[in-house]
Amino acid sequence: MELGTRRLFNRSFSFVSIAAIVLMSLSLVVLLGPIVIKGSKAFVFYGTIEYRELMLDRFSRGNRAAVEAEKARAEAARKPVLDLIRGFEAQLDTADADFRRRYRDDFNELKSLVLELLGPMPGESEPVLMRQQYGQTRWDRARIKLDGVLYVEEYNYSDPTKMGVKVLKPRVDRFRGTSLEPLFGALEHGVKDMLQPRLTWYWRFLFDGSHDSHFFGGIWPEMLGTIYLALGAMLFAVPLGIITAIYLAEYAGESHFVSMLRTCISSLAGVPSIVFGLFGLAFFINTIKVSQSKSVLAGALTLAVLVLPTVIRASEEAIKAVPLTYKEASMSLGASRWRTILTVILPAALPGVLTSIIISMGRAAGETAPIIFTAAVSVGKPLAVWQTLAQPTPALPWNIYNLATEHQAIDEIRHVQYGMVLTLVVLVLALNLTAIIIRARISKKLRG
Amino acid sequence: MQRQLLISKGARRFNRLGALFGHSLLGAIASSSVIALLFIFYFIMRDALPFFRIEGVREFFTSTHWYPSRDAPEFGALAIFVGSALVTLGASIVAVPLGILAALCLSDILPFSVRQVAKPVIEMLAAIPSVVFGFFALVVFAPLLQTHGGSIIAAGAWIVFAPLGLVAVAVSSDAAASRLPLKARAAGRVGAAVLMGSLAILALLALTGFLNRLPVSTGTNAFNVSIILGIMALPTIVSVSEDALNAVGRELREGSYALGATRAETLLKVVVPAAASGILAAVILGVMRAVGETMVVWMASGNAARIPSPWFNVLEPVRTLTATIAGDMGEADQVTGSARYHVLFAMALCLLAFAFIMNLVSEYVVRRSRKMRG
Amino acid sequence: MNRFRSALMTIALAAVLCVSFMPVAGFAQANKIIVDGSTTVGPIAKAFAEYYMSKNPGVNITVSESGSGNGAKSLINGTCDIATMSRFMKDEEFKAAVAKGVYPLGTVIAVDGLAVIVHPSCPVQALTTDQIRDIYTGTITNWKELGGPNVPIVLISRDTNSGTYESFEALVLNKQKISDRAEYVGSGGAIRSRVQSTPAAIGYVGLGFVDKTVKALKVNNVYPDPATVTSGLYPIARPLFMFTNGYPKMGSHLYSFLNLYLTQKGQQIIEEIGFVPVTKY
Repeated sequence: MELGTRRLFNRSFSFVSIAAIVLMSLSLVVLLGPIVIKGSKAFVFYGTIEYRELMLDRFSRGNRAAVEAEKARAEAARKPVLDLIRGFEAQLDTADADFRRRYRDDFNELKSLVLELLGPMPGESEPVLMRQQYGQTRWDRARIKLDGVLYVEEYNYSDPTKMGVKVLKPRVDRFRGTSLEPLFGALEHGVKDMLQPRLTWYWRFLFDGSHDSHFFGGIWPEMLGTIYLALGAMLFAVPLGIITAIYLAEYAGESHFVSMLRTCISSLAGVPSIVFGLFGLAFFINTIKVSQSKSVLAGALTLAVLVLPTVIRASEEAIKAVPLTYKEASMSLGASRWRTILTVILPAALPGVLTSIIISMGRAAGETAPIIFTAAVSVGKPLAVWQTLAQPTPALPWNIYNLATEHQAIDEIRHVQYGMVLTLVVLVLALNLTAIIIRARISKKLRG
Repeated sequence: MQRQLLISKGARRFNRLGALFGHSLLGAIASSSVIALLFIFYFIMRDALPFFRIEGVREFFTSTHWYPSRDAPEFGALAIFVGSALVTLGASIVAVPLGILAALCLSDILPFSVRQVAKPVIEMLAAIPSVVFGFFALVVFAPLLQTHGGSIIAAGAWIVFAPLGLVAVAVSSDAAASRLPLKARAAGRVGAAVLMGSLAILALLALTGFLNRLPVSTGTNAFNVSIILGIMALPTIVSVSEDALNAVGRELREGSYALGATRAETLLKVVVPAAASGILAAVILGVMRAVGETMVVWMASGNAARIPSPWFNVLEPVRTLTATIAGDMGEADQVTGSARYHVLFAMALCLLAFAFIMNLVSEYVVRRSRKMRG
Repeated sequence: MNRFRSALMTIALAAVLCVSFMPVAGFAQANKIIVDGSTTVGPIAKAFAEYYMSKNPGVNITVSESGSGNGAKSLINGTCDIATMSRFMKDEEFKAAVAKGVYPLGTVIAVDGLAVIVHPSCPVQALTTDQIRDIYTGTITNWKELGGPNVPIVLISRDTNSGTYESFEALVLNKQKISDRAEYVGSGGAIRSRVQSTPAAIGYVGLGFVDKTVKALKVNNVYPDPATVTSGLYPIARPLFMFTNGYPKMGSHLYSFLNLYLTQKGQQIIEEIGFVPVTKY
């Protein structure tokens, strides 16, 4: 090949490989972008008067006088609409059969949609489920419900070669000529006064328990469960891991036993996480019965076995990275081997060991498959420390899966799902960032 | 506390015994990981073998009829094995070229300051939990594929083939032009570039036009999962390959540069072959990560126990081993000792055996290269 | 001096550990209820749990939804107190339970109808049980065979650990095999979200999961709603169960929780969630 061609190839190769890195970073952005944007909506959003009323009733938060004044204003704004509904309902009761037949179903649908938007009418019996005791608490959901009130979704099936096409017809057409006709205009123009949205900063999302299957409230039981599981896993894995690392780095020779040990450790690292879950179920719960049912203890033990190889490998590297001169100096002063390890080598390797612990903690916090059968439930109270030995707990990874697939009203709680995902991602990335900073500081110390 | 300077014989013996005891205690604790692995193998095998005793081996590995809950159950897991293999193959196609190129870039092409920024990006990608990837695949990617499936695949084809096509056209037009006499070379280069460029663009347009019109009937399919698994396996491949490339050492590179090779030629012809075993180990680790992944495939692969027709049609739903274990474990009746329970452990045993063998292969490869390098 | 200090610390640590674990012994099982089982009954169990916990703050009720089969297995193994199931226990499960000293008692807490749902853009409005069977066994593979456009049907079914799947298999499929083109999902909520986002999809869920974003088809010309389910007109209706080990002890929390479905508030909850209470309060 000509020199010019070779140079051109060289430059194109650099270009292509830089494109690979850019593509990788782009995938990270594409992945985290929607999560950050939509997840932050669980914390920062436009909350309506219904939200502030909920906070006052259930959580005793907020200025009672201010909320009640706002509620009075909202009810004044809603009065015309609700009066129209009540009037039409009375009319329906006394009308003839034709009138009833024509309007009853449409009216019932309209009434249920309006009550879903604004909350139950004052004076009627209160529903039991909390989700039906309040109107829309978030302004973005309220706008969607408003569209549902103002427009009917119909499908046009006239084209036999394609699936139906969605057509939005104004609902007011169904009530033309009746007393309900002005309701729609009034609702559309007055909804802001009826709901009074204000920018809300719900940082307590992290610390509130969930009310009514995550319709309201926060994710504290899941956060606490994840913290328990991660800490519990490290409690079991760190002593075992550090001792094994010390053995491998300091005491082990090159015997068959040691090479088999190393092979076993790397094999353990490669076992799929679902197999750990099965093992945890078969061994910890069914065979040695650490707990009667699923429990945090069983989950923590399973996660400990999962992260053990990572802890061993990284700690061994940290211990090996301690300069030989430290050990030689200590031993030349007459210290025994064990004393050298305990007082000289371990403290010097501590930052590296700490890094490995933090990264493994992040891994244990994020794993789902090992805890499906051993520790995770969908709903439960936040546990006290001594209860973790025998009771299961909700956990962030499992509940993300649960809320995204099994929940009864997945669309209504999208913000909770994204909020959970954002919390888990921030938790894990914060742990990793701490580890990276510690590592950077060590390498600076070792270099400088 | 006063300590004797000269130790008596008894004390010396006691010290030695104490050291031996401590040494063996440490060894015993260290072998906890061996014990853990042995226990895992034992418990999985203990509950997997009864399946083969009850149902035999042939149906499990050769039949594609997976109906474990019927009165006359059928445990043909071939479609599930193929599903796992298909998804892993797709993930490797995404992750291996991208990963090796990225590792080359990180180790040799990027300046130090940019490398300090790029490495945390990779570590962040590695740290993101698998359920987050699964959530993204199910909630963001699957609906996108369903509504704009063709366009997304076409855009992907553009992203992959346009830079490669550009490079190929530039290099080949240059190479073709070099055969011409000196005077016509410039004109020849332009002419060849225009000719090949238009051919390439036409081919790309035809391909993307075809892809655009592909009907995507369901967003939870093998394509979705392959892309996401590829992104998950990338950080592993990149970091381990980068370690292998760095371990090659400066002398080899400097020797190659001294002989007049360009950086691309050095990398492709000298460094990569020298680091081949390490890169192979990295690829094996990435493949293991893709095979063992549960949450992403459970949420977003569609879980249809069927070999797609034709086998490379990634737009159809597939079912993997890990998703079957996670999904069907609910019905697992250990008490009734049914084959339904044991078949899941049989699948777990296959996964475990595959991971173990892959791990041994990668260790062997690394050890042999270390021996060869001396 | 060093040795004395380290010995003191060890004793102190041991004492702390003993004290923190002591309450475990005294912490009777009576203050927790573990509920496991069906994803169809899950919303009812979760709402009941929250209602009961708000009235009795000392009790911790945990709810899992991993499938009717898993609930049965947990009850047999003694790892749960209540197994919610959307199907009756099978013979093998009963036998295994009795062999382990567990005597399953099934309480019907609500009635449910299996709604066959499609995307609202699908022009088909009604099907017969024979047609549904043909769709799911793979005999009919395209919507044009049912009067719709030329679009292949995307089949969604529940995982085999599901009581809903078992009910569907018994009541509609007549125990025939589902086509291998079927995609499997793990819960009713998942079926609904797949169907509402896939125009060509068809699936089956409990009545509580039907909302405005999907269209429930008429089966044998009967539309699924509480009236047709309780009167028996709707052909695919089934009871929802809570299984316990024998009858719970009178006055215990388990007893009160199990009988919530008989109270007015309990039946209001069931109605508001979308299922059909056993009686009319």
